[in-house]
Amino acid sequence: MRQMQLRGHGYRWRLLPVLCFGLLAVLPAGSLSTPQVRSLTVTRAAAPASPAEMALRLQALLGQHSVLAADFMRGRIRGDEDFAQAADAALGRNTDAMGQLMGDLFGADTAKAFAPRWAEHIVELFTYARGLADQDSAMRAEAREELIEYEEDLAEFFVDASHGRLTKAAANGAMQMHVDHLLAQADAYAAKNYATADRVYRESYQHTYDLGGTVAGALLAPKQAAALQAPKWRLRSQLGKLLAEHVVLVENVTRAAVRNTPDFAAAGQAVNGNTRDLAAAMDSLFGAAAARDFQALWADHVEQLVAYASATAAPDAARQEKARTKLREIESRTATFLESATGKRLGSSGLASALRSHDEMMLRHMDAFAAKDYGTAHEIAYQTYEHMYELARQLADAIGATVAARLPVGGVQTGYGGLAETVERR
Amino acid sequence: MRAQPHTAALAGLAVVLTALLAGAQPAADASRPARPQPVTAAQPMVADAFRSARTYPAVAAPVRLRIPALAVDSPLQHLGRQADGSVAVPKSPDIAAWYERGPRPGQAGPAVIVGHVDSRDGPGIFLNLARLPHGAVVKVDRADGSTVTFRVTKVSRVAKTSFPTDLVYAPTLEPTLRLVTCGGSFDETRGSYRDNVIAFAAPA
Repeated sequence: MRQMQLRGHGYRWRLLPVLCFGLLAVLPAGSLSTPQVRSLTVTRAAAPASPAEMALRLQALLGQHSVLAADFMRGRIRGDEDFAQAADAALGRNTDAMGQLMGDLFGADTAKAFAPRWAEHIVELFTYARGLADQDSAMRAEAREELIEYEEDLAEFFVDASHGRLTKAAANGAMQMHVDHLLAQADAYAAKNYATADRVYRESYQHTYDLGGTVAGALLAPKQAAALQAPKWRLRSQLGKLLAEHVVLVENVTRAAVRNTPDFAAAGQAVNGNTRDLAAAMDSLFGAAAARDFQALWADHVEQLVAYASATAAPDAARQEKARTKLREIESRTATFLESATGKRLGSSGLASALRSHDEMMLRHMDAFAAKDYGTAHEIAYQTYEHMYELARQLADAIGATVAARLPVGGVQTGYGGLAETVERR
Repeated sequence: MRAQPHTAALAGLAVVLTALLAGAQPAADASRPARPQPVTAAQPMVADAFRSARTYPAVAAPVRLRIPALAVDSPLQHLGRQADGSVAVPKSPDIAAWYERGPRPGQAGPAVIVGHVDSRDGPGIFLNLARLPHGAVVKVDRADGSTVTFRVTKVSRVAKTSFPTDLVYAPTLEPTLRLVTCGGSFDETRGSYRDNVIAFAAPA
């Protein structure tokens, strides 16, 4: 902090755009024409119950931060200011939620120290994007320089807050990678190297999401942090990462589809990468045959969402309706598959309802995006992310219980006693 | 429906005006970032060519285990469970075995390899597993010719009566490896060791 107040223009000045967009974020929902999201089968618990639950939430918020920051930067680069402002408002909401959660997890003092540092690094990311959009290399260089200082400052904050459990090198490395990812994806996007931009977009999401676990593991008291090593927590975390990434990558690819812009192909590759990763996870959990069945369903699901986006861009109401009808059928088949895979720990009816809510939100997101109602599009995107994260949690618990029920029991009998004296001394 | 003549004339005028106005604009700066073009009905839809991924890179089954620090170099048997639900173990004390109902090494999740600490009259392949140092390299060769490398993160000894099934086998999506053998004192009555030694390893 002491460095920040001495630097450049002072952090209060820097926070001005954040505060302005923050005001936009807290305007009455009606001002954004936000439609009421249909009552969901899957709802997030009102308040996380334990530090381990809150650590999961921190991961989700950090992953979301990465995506929203990248989206904002890309909006700026495209010269799409309305979109950029909506992304920024969503980012402000994410930052507020993160500050609140930091307070719940680590105490009010930690949250108070965290918030301005975090907000300032966001401001410099924005400045960097503006430098790219305006071809102003001096502005970019200055923003990068400031970001390096904020990286160090944030890293120092995490080291102090962890009481030394997080090393300076690890904290510096993590913060540097976070910023490097966001700048690299922006550079590549501005250079129209969309394949690189979207590859780094995924890496950035995954790294920042995982950073939440690292931070929580270091800042929580060791007794509380031990819960983050439990397989149940880790499966929730990892499945949540994959499924929430599905949401943001479908949004990415369907926005490109609706815009009908050249960044579509790379966005398609990115969402396909996520589909492959999900199938590989299913292989690990249920075997190759189940993974193939799952991937066929999931691939159909993604294709129909993209088909709807393409029909929206055309615009072609008949094709939109065709895609919607096919999605209904896929939801039902996927629900049946998951009910069977989880040994009926999850019922197909509830699953179908949750999957339908997911699809409906995705479609309404596209409708709002096509209408350039970016505030509503981001509001729906925010809710879709939260909804999927909670669905992932329930899926992870059911899958974990299903797999656990068939694990080997007891210890391993791998000795005959021929060298008992030697073995006992080891 | 045919356009009325005056409508067509207006449309033509609009096109001419648009062209003139466009011509009056400064030349686009080619060095500036691309701006998205508005979608028109005449443009082909880029998304129409989209096809979802319908395959994923499968991880091949393990065929060989190598632990340089222990001079271990063993082919891998593939084993499941015994009738009592415990993991099956190799008949030969010189050979390690992969638990084939779990993940393959390098695949998401904990892969498990078991081996004997001794035989009735000599050493087993995992005699020195308890001495495996932190950071030791473990390599697993796979049927497709690939090799995945792990590093040991922890070695612990636990009573078989409180074997940590969760920590060894329970599903996560991290591509980890567990090496398991016997340890501790030998129970002559039962004819088995009282403890298990577990080496936990993560991708190198």
